[in-house]
Amino acid sequence: MSDTKIDESGPETTLIDLRNAERGGAVRRLLRAQSFQILLVLLVIVAIFSAIAPDYFAQLSNFRLIVQNASILAVIGVGMTFIIITSGIDLSVGSVLVFSGVVAAMVMRAIGGDGWGVAFIGIVVAILSGLAWGILNGVLIAKAKVPPLIVTLGSMGMALGFAQILTGGIDIREAPAVLSDVIGYGNVLGTVPVLSVIALVIVVIGAIVLHYTRFGRYTYAVGSSEEASRRVGVKVDRHLIKVYALSGALSGFAGILSLAQFNTTAIAGQSTTNLNVIAAVVIGGTSLFGGLGTIFGTVVGLFIPAVLQNGFVITGVQPFWQQVAVGAVLIVAVYVDQARRSSALRGGQSTSSLWRRLVTRSPK
Amino acid sequence: MTVPVLEAKGISRMFGHVRALDNAHFDIYPGEVVALIGDNGAGKSTLVKALSGNLAIDSGEILFDGEPVQFTSPNQASALGIETVHQDLALAPHLDPVQNMYLGREIMQDGIGKLFGFMKTAEMREKSRIAFDELGATVRSLTLPVGSMSGGQRQAIAIARAVSWANRVVFLDEPTAALGVRQTKNVLETIRRVRDKGIAVVFISHSMPHVMEVSDRVQVLRLGASAATLTTSKTSMEELVGLMTGASTKGIS
Amino acid sequence: MKWNRTALGILALGASAGLLLTGCSNGSTPGAGSSDSGAYKIAFVQGVAGDEFYISMQCGIEAAAKKAGATVTTQGPAKFDPTLQKPLVDSVVASKPDALLIAATDVTAMRTPIKAAADAGIKVVLVDTTVDDPSFAVSQISSDNVGGGKAAFDAIKQANPDGGKVLVVSVDPGISTTDARVKGFEDATAADSSFDYLGVQYSHNEPATAAEIVTAALQKDPDIVGIFATNLFSAEGTATGVKQADKADSVTIVGFDAGPAQVKQLQEGTVQALVAQEPATIGTDAVEQAIASLKGETVTAEIQTGFTILTRDNLAGEGADAVYKSSC
Repeated sequence: MSDTKIDESGPETTLIDLRNAERGGAVRRLLRAQSFQILLVLLVIVAIFSAIAPDYFAQLSNFRLIVQNASILAVIGVGMTFIIITSGIDLSVGSVLVFSGVVAAMVMRAIGGDGWGVAFIGIVVAILSGLAWGILNGVLIAKAKVPPLIVTLGSMGMALGFAQILTGGIDIREAPAVLSDVIGYGNVLGTVPVLSVIALVIVVIGAIVLHYTRFGRYTYAVGSSEEASRRVGVKVDRHLIKVYALSGALSGFAGILSLAQFNTTAIAGQSTTNLNVIAAVVIGGTSLFGGLGTIFGTVVGLFIPAVLQNGFVITGVQPFWQQVAVGAVLIVAVYVDQARRSSALRGGQSTSSLWRRLVTRSPK
Repeated sequence: MTVPVLEAKGISRMFGHVRALDNAHFDIYPGEVVALIGDNGAGKSTLVKALSGNLAIDSGEILFDGEPVQFTSPNQASALGIETVHQDLALAPHLDPVQNMYLGREIMQDGIGKLFGFMKTAEMREKSRIAFDELGATVRSLTLPVGSMSGGQRQAIAIARAVSWANRVVFLDEPTAALGVRQTKNVLETIRRVRDKGIAVVFISHSMPHVMEVSDRVQVLRLGASAATLTTSKTSMEELVGLMTGASTKGIS
Repeated sequence: MKWNRTALGILALGASAGLLLTGCSNGSTPGAGSSDSGAYKIAFVQGVAGDEFYISMQCGIEAAAKKAGATVTTQGPAKFDPTLQKPLVDSVVASKPDALLIAATDVTAMRTPIKAAADAGIKVVLVDTTVDDPSFAVSQISSDNVGGGKAAFDAIKQANPDGGKVLVVSVDPGISTTDARVKGFEDATAADSSFDYLGVQYSHNEPATAAEIVTAALQKDPDIVGIFATNLFSAEGTATGVKQADKADSVTIVGFDAGPAQVKQLQEGTVQALVAQEPATIGTDAVEQAIASLKGETVTAEIQTGFTILTRDNLAGEGADAVYKSSC
């Protein structure tokens, strides 16, 4: 981090101009935020597909399914956003999801029954299974100082391996009926999927925790400068463990949601979930270098690939194009992040606008 | 001004076979700026670490308000009102000045809000604003990340943070290094304001003009030992440089 | 320097916009005609994109659809994974085709999304694989997989009349077709006491994993005489594994399916026999059943297509048509 780099050329504004700087700043900052600009990109994509296929794409029933399919990823995305803001990474989310689903399914099968009681036990078991993997990740990263990429790459393999050991590789296809009927395919108010309502609640709670609590503040601080945080007395190790534990617990919860949606543990599935979620977080403006990011951005970042895929399928485009388009969006998003960071550290406009950067010429 | 707020009596510290501090003396009174100077390797940072609880000493005595103390951790020094602003400032570049000001010591809401980790954002902002105003700190904005601010502004924020936590002694490690002329002027002005609040300021610097400009007394370290203690108004840059390099000597006062 | 980076950014945005546009223009051929004009819109969802088995099936579907005057759009997930296939099916259903031909990637997970298509009035034909309680589908068309497994055993027995240890490398448990092939093979082995069945290993459809499994198995049991690989990627990996273990002379490998890679291995003698399905026939039958159902004619609920045993000897002659295509 070049926070010790001193900039001599920056004009020193004499005395305090705080009151002016803050007035009207909120709106301007919102317009400049990358997550907001990404939202505009999403709206443009939606508008294009709506124009091409108004009868098929621009239907409430279609949007409903897009939202439903993004719900489980959104739950994982909340935890991943926290982790990436600390400048970490969690590759194990998909495997932890499968592991937790397997353990929960086995426990529920052992207890038997189709009611809420057993379903509730399953939910708790899934969250605890995920939490255990998260704590293991966190301890290895914070205490043993193994890089997050390696730790979670390892636990990714281990969690999936244990899931296969526990089941012999054979999916468990029994889950309490209430899970599938109410959570997996149930609706609120007739059309809103329960799965999406659950995801929304978690997203909102995640956003409040990240942006308004001390836990969230420390998350940014640790990602911004671990050393500075340590010096002022933030318990960095403990905080990192908590953040990975959070991600693990959310992946575990996603495991029971997946079980509810697919009615099987889908051990062979979720193979690209980790990368899809990481891509969404990064597209949403969270910096891989830490210190920057929003939950809102992550949610928007999830919908861009989801809408692209849906739109491409509906307009009959070859399936391979979706990956190409999402890859391009990802690279542009990271490019903008890089440009913004270097601008901020030069001491210039810290939140240089995507549009100003790409559409107008910078001075000189 | 009868009792020094912080005093070191004959402290020594070995690193292997290297004698980093050799029977060194140091004292500072409330409302005073004492410059601590010395060539590279003279033991300045070892002394600062010892006095701020970051390093144990082999022998000697540290007195706080005339009472002997034994520092075992920086937290203990903090509790007594001693803070250090290191050269790298320990600011989180993505956080804004208020967030940095209270990082690690957030003011929490009462009751149930505290349980969920909610903070008193408005109160922290208001108190930060008052603290910056008091020091005449030139903080461009309370909502921009400090990483986007100039070196002088960041220094001012770091000093304001140390002062808001420490009401007795503040160590400033090379606060003017690599700053522009105007920024240096602002930082020195900030140091004077801190002193005027009755806080003792230890100013560690290589810059003799800045030492001459802001300090009340100068303590010179050479080869781990105290070479001299001088009143700034009665000395000159030439004399200080001579003492640092060993070209001239003067009895310890 | 600053400007260069800006220019680069514009380039990047432009490039992605360009991709989007080409993508869209490619796709400007969705079945324009609605069902009442007679041009039926058929959607085909593969188990995995880029697999010759499904491509051959697609060829059969397109040929049959052309004959019937219907249009076809084909989609497939990047991996054989229900969590990837479900969003795809949801999107296909939103495009409101008249018929959906689908190779389900999981018997349980895919049931609800496919049933949703049937509930929306789309005629569903299950091809190759099936789902639990497929009563909502108008027809199911697949190979006689149990018979295929038995045929694979016969091929191994032919090469090793004295018996010995045999192993199965399959994809993943829970896939109806491969499970049936394994069962057919298992039953046939159990009926013949001279053969020692070592069980089934799962490759997760990764050739690399299959190779690792086979090398490890040969390490443990160097006297394995035959390996039955239940699908394309498993066979590919199995052959690699046997070659790595330097056992190509003593192990008879029987593959299922006849993609170009398998056929090449058969020609080279790495694989001794292939049980070839008839994906093009499955596709043709599926279109016929779907259109019959749309026209209100009688539909056959279940059709089993046959298979061809390919060896080096018949490859040039009668077996040539059984080889899968990598493009139509």
